[in-house]
Amino acid sequence: MSKRRVLIADDLLFFRAALRDILERGGYEVIGEAANGAEAFDKARTLSPDIVILDVVMPVKTGIDAAREISHLNMPLKIVMCSSLGYEPIVEEAIRAGACAYILKPLNEEAVLQTLVSLEADTP
Amino acid sequence: MDTSKYKALYLQETSEHISGIEKGLLALEKGDADATTVDHLFRHYHSIKGMSASMGYEPIQKLAHAQEDLLDRIRQKRMTATPTVTDALLRCLDGLKALLKRVEDGGALNLDIAPLYASIKDAIEGRLDQAAMTAPAAGRPAAGRPAPDAAAPGASGAAELKLSHVMKVEGKVFDDLMATVGDLIMALSTFKAISHGSRSIELKEGVYMLGKHINALHNNILSARMLPIEDLTEGLPRVIRDMSQKSGKEVELRIEGASLRLDRSTLEGLGAPLVHIIRNCVDHGIESVDERLRAGKPRSGVIQIKAYSKRDKVIIEVSDDGRGINAARIKEKARARGVAEERLRAMTDKDALMLVCLPGVSGADVVTDTSGRGVGMDVVKGVVEGLGGAIGISTVPGAGTRIDMELPLTTSIIKALLVTEGPELFLLPISRIERVLEVHRNEISGGRFSYDGAVVPVISLGAALGMAEAPERDYYSLIIVHGRTLSGVSPAVEAETREVAAIRVDAFGDEIDAYIRPLAPPISRLWGASGITVMGDGRAVFLLDVSQIVSKALLTA
Repeated sequence: MSKRRVLIADDLLFFRAALRDILERGGYEVIGEAANGAEAFDKARTLSPDIVILDVVMPVKTGIDAAREISHLNMPLKIVMCSSLGYEPIVEEAIRAGACAYILKPLNEEAVLQTLVSLEADTP
Repeated sequence: MDTSKYKALYLQETSEHISGIEKGLLALEKGDADATTVDHLFRHYHSIKGMSASMGYEPIQKLAHAQEDLLDRIRQKRMTATPTVTDALLRCLDGLKALLKRVEDGGALNLDIAPLYASIKDAIEGRLDQAAMTAPAAGRPAAGRPAPDAAAPGASGAAELKLSHVMKVEGKVFDDLMATVGDLIMALSTFKAISHGSRSIELKEGVYMLGKHINALHNNILSARMLPIEDLTEGLPRVIRDMSQKSGKEVELRIEGASLRLDRSTLEGLGAPLVHIIRNCVDHGIESVDERLRAGKPRSGVIQIKAYSKRDKVIIEVSDDGRGINAARIKEKARARGVAEERLRAMTDKDALMLVCLPGVSGADVVTDTSGRGVGMDVVKGVVEGLGGAIGISTVPGAGTRIDMELPLTTSIIKALLVTEGPELFLLPISRIERVLEVHRNEISGGRFSYDGAVVPVISLGAALGMAEAPERDYYSLIIVHGRTLSGVSPAVEAETREVAAIRVDAFGDEIDAYIRPLAPPISRLWGASGITVMGDGRAVFLLDVSQIVSKALLTA
């Protein structure tokens, strides 16, 4: 299996750097980074990643709005939300917007990689 | 997660969010925060919380989390940001800053945040305003709780302006780099002289290329050292907020030209003087609300900071629309301090204003006097001059005061003209030179010369510096210079009062980039010189202090 290509969207360089390190150690290829929801949408469309990891609270456009728009593109990719906001209404909204997994911050390397592996199980 | 690797990123990003919070809270307090401001505030706290959680900085995470909750409620209009609430948030901000400082210094995060945390919880539960109502002093913490300030040692210095810490460690490195480039430039000037007298095209080309690269290196280092004035003024709204709250006055700050860049050492040195000046504006310049209304002025006073560049200088003006300084009173104070009567009589009001820079005159009794200001103005003047700058004060009684600081854009390397007088070489800063002329001695009559429709005094450099008298020559070089460029008045008046003079020398030479070192003791107070440079051939040459030479000549003319 070739390396899975991932797009990371988080307004904080801090989390993008941490996430990139975790993913690269886990054998993923990070093909792009976005600092807000609008940028994430543009890059998802142009870079055709296999996985998009979206932070929820971002400027310009939230991760949830970006997820909704990216799902509408009907591209063969999986959307994973990543946030420190863990209360149910937000998680539910994220799933309705098209996310198929939810990673809770603070980032835990094992949990992040496990979540991504579990995506493979239900590949259509 | 191996957190140590991300610490620098953490500090950098949190500091950006802290500045954002500061701006947002001040807007919130003033009541001009819209939904976007509140939204941004929420996001700033959210980001700090998230990063701190990942780093394992529990107290920061906890404090930021509580504030994030509070902002979320304000965002959802479930509560309003009353002054007591914003005050609690500002105190918590100090707490956050203190904690982040600990992180930066590698210290333990053992500050007691419990009172701060409790004040936010109280605000959320609506207990804060109740408590404030029973204790009328606004901004006091809930009764029975220890003052939240106690939790934030080190954050009490909110009146200290600090630059972003991202580059801090590198300051010394840049100074060393600058010194090395300075030496390179001086060495280059030797090669330039050799290539000038040589017929070798290869040598000329080599020296030209060398010069080009050294120049590029110099510019790179210079721009790496430049920081926007913003970095310094960023903290001012908070400083003013705290000062005006203490004095019960209403003060508004306007800043213009904050994106202008200055050498980091200059900027860093300006922090203390700027706070001094602002403090004077708030304490002594701007009147109380009652007094302002009686005088027919708007309720809140305005402090305006305006920065702009002029040739190779940056001018920073700080003005207020307060009561101004009474020059006559300043003279009185100076007289009491023993300044000679005839000197005072000869002084214009404008000159007299500079007396507030005398240590004796800026004593405490002037400060309490309604017509005076002067806390630390001698210190301000000293610092600004130490940075190679000049200071000017102008005032209109009843209408306001303006302090002008004229600063060199860069320090250390300046463009200068080589001149010879007798056997000696000197340098004159290009920024002060208007024109260079070669004239016959008959064109100079009675120590005066007609230039540009005006008669300007001619100063013999040799005589001014007390050099041995040289035999009369047929031709001289006249360097037309201006002394003080700063008069703190309108451009029209400034042009009229500008001190133009001609410095007479035997001959002039090349324009060079000179790496100027400050004068060190025992020659640090040498009259007429402001610096020294060592030429490529090892010869030491003084940079002349044009203002000093011109003002002395004008006084004795």
